[in-house]
Amino acid sequence: MEIFKDLNDITLHFSKTLGIKIFNEDGQKLGRVNDFFIDYEEIYPSVLAIQYKRNGFLFYILWEEILYFSYKKIVIKNDAFSRRSRTFPKTLRPKSVTSILANQFTGSTVEYPPLGQIVLDKQIVDTHGKKVVRVNDIQFIKAGKELRVTHAEVGLRSFVRRLNLEKPIDFLIKSLSPQSKYLTNDTTINWKYVHAIPNRNIQKSVRLNLTNEDLKQLHPADLADILEDLDSHGREMIFSNLDPKLAAETLSEVDEDLQASLLNNENPEKAAEIIENMDTDDAADLLNEMDDDKVDAIISNIDDVEIQEEIQELLEHDEDTAGGLMTSEIFEITAELSKSDVLALIQQKHEEVASFHDIYIVDESHNLIGTLSLQELLIHNENALIKDIMNDSDIKSLSVDTHWKEVATYMNKYNMITVPIVSRENELLGMISVDDILDRLLS
Amino acid sequence: MKNETKRKIVSPLIMKLTLFLSIVGPGLVTSNLDNDAGGIATYSMAGAQTGYRLMWLLIPVTIALIMFQEMSARMGIVSGKGLADLIREKFGLRITFYSLFFLLFADLGNTMAEFAGIASAGEIFGASRYITVPICAILVWLLVLKSDYKSVERIFILGCSIFLTYIVSGFIIGPNWIEVTTAIIKPDLHSITSKDLPIMVGLLGTSITPWMQFYIQSAVVEKGISTKHLWHSKVDVIAGCSLMLIVTFFIMICCATTIFPSGIVVHDAKDAAIALEPLAGKYSSILFGIGLFNASFFAAAILPLAASYYICQGMGWESGVDRTFKEAPHFFTVFTSMITIGGAMTLIPGIDLFKILIYTQILNGLLIPIVVLYIINLCNDPDIMGEYTNSPTQNFISYILVALMFILNLPTIYYSLR
Repeated sequence: MEIFKDLNDITLHFSKTLGIKIFNEDGQKLGRVNDFFIDYEEIYPSVLAIQYKRNGFLFYILWEEILYFSYKKIVIKNDAFSRRSRTFPKTLRPKSVTSILANQFTGSTVEYPPLGQIVLDKQIVDTHGKKVVRVNDIQFIKAGKELRVTHAEVGLRSFVRRLNLEKPIDFLIKSLSPQSKYLTNDTTINWKYVHAIPNRNIQKSVRLNLTNEDLKQLHPADLADILEDLDSHGREMIFSNLDPKLAAETLSEVDEDLQASLLNNENPEKAAEIIENMDTDDAADLLNEMDDDKVDAIISNIDDVEIQEEIQELLEHDEDTAGGLMTSEIFEITAELSKSDVLALIQQKHEEVASFHDIYIVDESHNLIGTLSLQELLIHNENALIKDIMNDSDIKSLSVDTHWKEVATYMNKYNMITVPIVSRENELLGMISVDDILDRLLS
Repeated sequence: MKNETKRKIVSPLIMKLTLFLSIVGPGLVTSNLDNDAGGIATYSMAGAQTGYRLMWLLIPVTIALIMFQEMSARMGIVSGKGLADLIREKFGLRITFYSLFFLLFADLGNTMAEFAGIASAGEIFGASRYITVPICAILVWLLVLKSDYKSVERIFILGCSIFLTYIVSGFIIGPNWIEVTTAIIKPDLHSITSKDLPIMVGLLGTSITPWMQFYIQSAVVEKGISTKHLWHSKVDVIAGCSLMLIVTFFIMICCATTIFPSGIVVHDAKDAAIALEPLAGKYSSILFGIGLFNASFFAAAILPLAASYYICQGMGWESGVDRTFKEAPHFFTVFTSMITIGGAMTLIPGIDLFKILIYTQILNGLLIPIVVLYIINLCNDPDIMGEYTNSPTQNFISYILVALMFILNLPTIYYSLR
């Protein structure tokens, strides 16, 4: 018997398959369709088994045992094996290339949760559209003898279908405006961009782990928006799976209120790694929002002694002053160097320094004696000495206890991208860049 | 290596207080919202028409309010999700859609009541509603969408303290406290007639509203309170509800003592202001007018906002005041239409506002037990609540309260529809 012989549509909708009656060859009713188990390891997952419900209990039946499938009924072999279970045991392949779920213990068996339970009506991350959406329906396609998942549906059409109003609304739209896009199009998300977030309990009982390959491709700012849109559980799950560098970049972009709570959920070692990867000024701002005990634990776990001391120094300054806003990762040199020395230094130090827009020149007691923009440096010949080309009269700098609003006014007045911050004794402490000020102005 | 951070030393007590105040909030704000236009009208009317007779009802109503709000707050803290989100995830799109559809209708009625409150307050000062309502509608819209709403919220909450004057007024009047206590401890159930039913449902309907359950849960989620602070949140809810109880209690005492014996039927806001006369003399109506205006304006801003949020959450539409219209069209459409329709309805000449209010109240009364049933169900789901599910006692009391609400609702609906 051809399995799909009475099914003319190429695509099927999850919501339409719910409640289909399941019979054996003798016509004995076994139950009704409740959900599907799919192979989460595939890009377009095939259906492995159907979950059905009988007398309130959940069973599953393997897809291979199904002889006939239509919207009216499903017929399975008489001797088919069905097992009572809420999950499906799946042996993982040695190497998994997966779009939504994967496992750390490849090659072993894991219990898969049913598809509907983790996707239908749930929030997922659309890694292509870079946003969080709620799924209205799931689309399958007939592929030979198999059924494969192809899309998550999030548009108005799937919405209306779930309300069981598809026919009357279609009729209404057809008679009013036959050309309407509504009739042919629906907003769908290709399955390979669907990033599901299993809830706490599934996570615990089946030990599934998210692969974040698709998320890692996103810009930290997009990732931050996604985190803001998710609930606390999904947020923590995605965030704790990011590597420290991406986590740090993302954290800098996240809403201030969320930053502390995200970092609070990490253990001090991981939190310290993230902090090390952030700009010291952002890190200090963030730590200022957290409990003292936690902050001490994080700071003591920072491996890089230099960063550790910088952050501690920054924490002493008031958040609203230049001291609280500045970064100490600046590019400072002595006046005796030549242009080529400086260019070599830039290549060496580019990872530790927040910006090269302005170069700061200090004397042996670390006092600011001159500034030089990168632009000016570039137009001089290779042998030019810094002390000859630097600007040493009328140096524009601000004291560490200047209020941030004054910093903004000052930078605006002199059209500065970065401004050096000095102590009362003119010792160079750090700099503030215009994007730190913009953050303040906009919030 | 120095591990200690050298920061400004803050005394532990102040630290604790700051922490407490940052968690305390959602419950207090929500209970302040309870004394909105509909609330004040209902409490005043109840006191003026029935004296102390029905005051005992406030006790079970407050207990129910504490129980339900505690559940919603706990759910928000544990799951980190809004009530509409959880209903959608557990019960599916269809049930969510129809529930939210009716809730939206009820809230449209509630919004209208707030604008009616603004109109009444304006009329105390001699301003025509055709001026006050459109101006306030535009102000509300601008305030919520174009300015920093959160900072303005504090002013409203401060404004709500005007109602504390009822407490002062109550003591100046000096009612017969023994009579009051007896009415509360030993309620005379035989004296209840079918005429009292709408007032009783009104007291229930204005105190426990469906949208507030959504509101408190979202507020808790937004604050990002952790499960460590569940206890603080309980204190917050109990403090908020108790404050509401005290204010409501004194509104009723004031009205029952000053208006009830004279037999005056409260027709509009001016009559209700009489209750503040012992305190403020001829300024009583000004005091009452400012209080009513503040409460109505506050609720007229928050209610459509909360409704737009829960509708969009449940339906899976983009939401947020910081989005553009293009990003979140549904959100802005729902919000704008609620304010426009709610405001415009109060201006239709010859419209029987009172009748619409009654129907809104009935819809509220019908919906609240249903919403509470959802809440109880969700609060018992270990997938959502983990170890923080309801205790059997909590369930038992909640189910009894829901049953009582149904029992109270059914005859009222029967009588008012007849």
